[in-house]
Amino acid sequence: MDDWKASSLIKPFGARKKRSWYLTWKYKLTNQRALRRFCQTGAVLFLLVTVIVNIKLILDTRRAISEANGDPEPEQDYDEALGRLEPSRRRGSGPRRVLDVEVYSSRSKVYVAVDGTTVLEDEAREQGRGIHVIVLNQATGHVMAKRVFDTYSPHEDEAMVLFLNMVAPGRVLICTVKDEGSFHLKDTAKALLRSLGSQAGPALGWRDTWAFVGRKGGPVLGEKHSKSPALSSWGDPVLLKTDVPLSSAEEAECHWADTELNRRRRRFCSKVEGYGSVCSCKDPTPIEFSPDPLPDNKVLNVPVAVIAGNRPNYLYRMLRSLLSAQGVSPQMITVFIDGYYEEPMDVVALFGLRGIQHTPISIKNARVSQHYKASLTATFNLFPEARFAVVLEEDLDVAVDFFSFLSQSIHLLEEDDSLYCISAWNDQGYEHTAEDPALLYRVETMPGLGWVLRKSLYKEELEPKWPTPEKLWDWDMWMRMPEQRRGRECIIPDVSRSYHFGIVGLNMNGYFHEAYFKKHKFNTVPGVQLRNVDSLKKEAYEVEIHRLLSEAEVLDHSKNPCEDSFLPDTEGHTYVAFIRMEKDDDFTTWTQLAKCLHIWDLDVRGNHRGLWRLFRKKNHFLVVGVPASPYSVKKPPSITPIFLEPPPKEEGAPGAAEQT
Amino acid sequence: MLTSSQNVPVFLIDPLILELINKDFEQVKNTSHGSTSECKFFCVPRDFTAFALRYHLWKNEEGWFRIAENMGFQCLKIESKDPRLDGIDSLSGTEIPLHYICRLASHAIHLVVFHERSGNYLWHGHLRLKGHMDRKFVPFRKLQFGRYPGAFDRPELQQITVDGLEVFIPKDPVRFLEEIPHSRFIECRYKEARAFFQQYLDDNTVEAMAFRKNAKELLQLAAKTLKKLGVRFWLSSGTCLGWYRQCNIIPYSKDVDLGIFIQDYKSDIISAFQDVGLPLKHKFGKVEDSLELSFQGKDDIKLDIFFFYEETDHMWNGGTQAKTGKKFKYLFPKFTLCWTEFVDMKIHVPCETIEYVEANYGKTWKIPVKTWDWKRSPPNVQPNGVWPISEWDEVIQLY
Repeated sequence: MDDWKASSLIKPFGARKKRSWYLTWKYKLTNQRALRRFCQTGAVLFLLVTVIVNIKLILDTRRAISEANGDPEPEQDYDEALGRLEPSRRRGSGPRRVLDVEVYSSRSKVYVAVDGTTVLEDEAREQGRGIHVIVLNQATGHVMAKRVFDTYSPHEDEAMVLFLNMVAPGRVLICTVKDEGSFHLKDTAKALLRSLGSQAGPALGWRDTWAFVGRKGGPVLGEKHSKSPALSSWGDPVLLKTDVPLSSAEEAECHWADTELNRRRRRFCSKVEGYGSVCSCKDPTPIEFSPDPLPDNKVLNVPVAVIAGNRPNYLYRMLRSLLSAQGVSPQMITVFIDGYYEEPMDVVALFGLRGIQHTPISIKNARVSQHYKASLTATFNLFPEARFAVVLEEDLDVAVDFFSFLSQSIHLLEEDDSLYCISAWNDQGYEHTAEDPALLYRVETMPGLGWVLRKSLYKEELEPKWPTPEKLWDWDMWMRMPEQRRGRECIIPDVSRSYHFGIVGLNMNGYFHEAYFKKHKFNTVPGVQLRNVDSLKKEAYEVEIHRLLSEAEVLDHSKNPCEDSFLPDTEGHTYVAFIRMEKDDDFTTWTQLAKCLHIWDLDVRGNHRGLWRLFRKKNHFLVVGVPASPYSVKKPPSITPIFLEPPPKEEGAPGAAEQT
Repeated sequence: MLTSSQNVPVFLIDPLILELINKDFEQVKNTSHGSTSECKFFCVPRDFTAFALRYHLWKNEEGWFRIAENMGFQCLKIESKDPRLDGIDSLSGTEIPLHYICRLASHAIHLVVFHERSGNYLWHGHLRLKGHMDRKFVPFRKLQFGRYPGAFDRPELQQITVDGLEVFIPKDPVRFLEEIPHSRFIECRYKEARAFFQQYLDDNTVEAMAFRKNAKELLQLAAKTLKKLGVRFWLSSGTCLGWYRQCNIIPYSKDVDLGIFIQDYKSDIISAFQDVGLPLKHKFGKVEDSLELSFQGKDDIKLDIFFFYEETDHMWNGGTQAKTGKKFKYLFPKFTLCWTEFVDMKIHVPCETIEYVEANYGKTWKIPVKTWDWKRSPPNVQPNGVWPISEWDEVIQLY
């Protein structure tokens, strides 16, 4: 503090002490005049040497002491613990040139051991069915990737083919089957296994066991297989033991030009596998994108939080799209990883971004919730100047004009208190129901999936009462609750600026994704100029809706609204239909309509005061709930609102999954 | 010497040079770019030149090192974990740079990395050498920054031409220079606070949250008001304990407590608080003895301000029992003031916090106590006689 002033008298690291000791001696010596000058000089020289030796000794002792003490006292300011240098990892003399690999395949257990270290062990019940694949670095023996493909189920073999094709030539591949791996193993996959040199893989049968070790691009280093004797039983467990010769490091690495970017690439590619051309020696895909800057970018200094779990391939895809979006500023991006997973961190480092890991503290949904909270709090701590944050998830693509969309609309969040968020996602924006990339809506539901959060909302309202871990709530469901939303609305585009590609999330399964997400419309046009953004403000929007309803043509209510012919074969018209909606929370008819239109029907999304806006056959299509909606006044007296009977009591929805 | 810094968002914070510039301020301001030959300021003999690097504005971190090295600089980078993540449950991330020291011949440039923190201030870290670093790289002990972490108000900047070089300096160099010796910053003990909450669950009832919110607003309002008056203050009593023990406001504490040195007392404190909607609730004692002010915040939260008197070997503040006129004295070992961050604010606390808290709450301060009698519970309380009845009108004022 105050007493710490720069002083030229203070020599660093205790030299002063040594000097005074030396001076005392010198003083004594000069006092003995009887000594001859020659002797004196000699003694001084000798002393100097002793002093130097002593200083070195003292310094060494200090070093040893601080090493022994571990963490230093805070007052020892500049002397942090020394010598925590990593002990050399090399075993014995010189690296080993052969790995011994054990691979076990059986009904209920698989394991893989490399040089006696278990790198895979799975004996959990009802889990890990299918083909487990491990990729080793051919020079170091390090595990570079670990995957399991449930090839008993459909489409998983396609994912396996995709993955195996991305593995670089020369890598060591290990495969082993747990329980059943053949039911949906199609010809393409079998052909690929054949091309790897496998004998048994292409012929893998129902409940066979199989263990395989080989180099990508040959040769096969070992294979064992046991046929299942009958439909109701499994093949015998097989244990494959084999030696894998290691190749030289040069052989395992590419010769990319020595640039900062390639150093990142090299670090990444020597550690992990399964990212395809990013690690290609000849023609690696770029990891820096430099998209065009956005003129007058209003979101240049808005932090971007990417919420991630352990799905590094998703994260890789996500970050690529994010960094390619016009107007992105990489230094504003932080990736928050839920757990101490290395590979997602490697992906983050590949792109030169900031990554933060979060130790899991609770289970399932509550854990996601706590991860969100920690991530949002950290974002506003890291960027204390920010008034907003963009929140993204690892399984989203962002549109090329994602930031342009936000830049054009973010002022609304500042100027209109009745807004809760801006979201890039339209729940009802499917290929057949979204049309106009320049059009925005106000909706009472909070879509998430790429959205902007106001700091004041978070700090003053959400953070203090964020659900605690024992509540086991989904953060997004909680945010949608009336106590939190308090009547506020979100701005969304007609055509989404994000695309939800994830299938293996906590809340998602393949079927579900297929049904509800795959056909979502996603804007691919750069630089879209949004239309009339200020008309999205609370009062202006009402004027706009009234204008729209006034010019809308009333559809023929005697027709079946589920039929395609309900709307005329026109383009660019605005039509309105009136459906029955007794109270604010009566969505009986709407839900049936949503179902037959093949849009989101699991809960109600996209409404604004009993009004839904979408497109059909390139016409703007308005649906008004009568009499609950205030827009019911626009209904001509002659029109009877449409009523659709809910199906007799049976579970219509596939599982109780929800969106994010 | 400075050119490598040109593409880096820096401003000059070197006390020696700022002092010189300040002395010659009028002249410096009027000099145009022309007089490059002169070297009045930067050529003063010294070992270092210190610059603040505004990290959040820095875009080309990766390339910069290389450029500096190509110019012949040898650079040392000191990194550490990010304290802004400490307050949050178990986050760990990429380390952040705290200091860069680049030497060329016998001179070195010290880039002190200033990070933005919640509470609208700039923070720099402690310069701590790691094991493998060269201890003799530069004479570290002569560095002006880095012995402790530091906190500064974000200064407004101005560009000036010094010795033919264009540099940014704080618009008010005097103020910045005054801040330097008092800039020491201490972090809240987040780890211990988490352990505390594991043992004694946090109170998340609606009432507790409402109290915290109101207390935070009251504290922010008080801080703003005192800052405007230029009065130094620090977190005292229960508010200080809340910061030290749990990095938060204790929800059952019912008031906000601040300390002010009596020599910093200003007579317009009362009216200033009144002007921002905090009427005086009571006033005990007088400036010469045991002064204590209490203001009424909204929702029944009280703002207590205790004035501290300095003796040769200790500090004390006074208490008064309104009914009886009894006086009390609360003794504290001497302390100095440090910055910390509390409820999104840069605020003072005693640097010697543990001694302060233990004086007030004893060795068992870690255990929450909900019933506390100000006349008996504190271990540092002493009876201090009774106010003479003739003075009661002055020293016991209730509103």
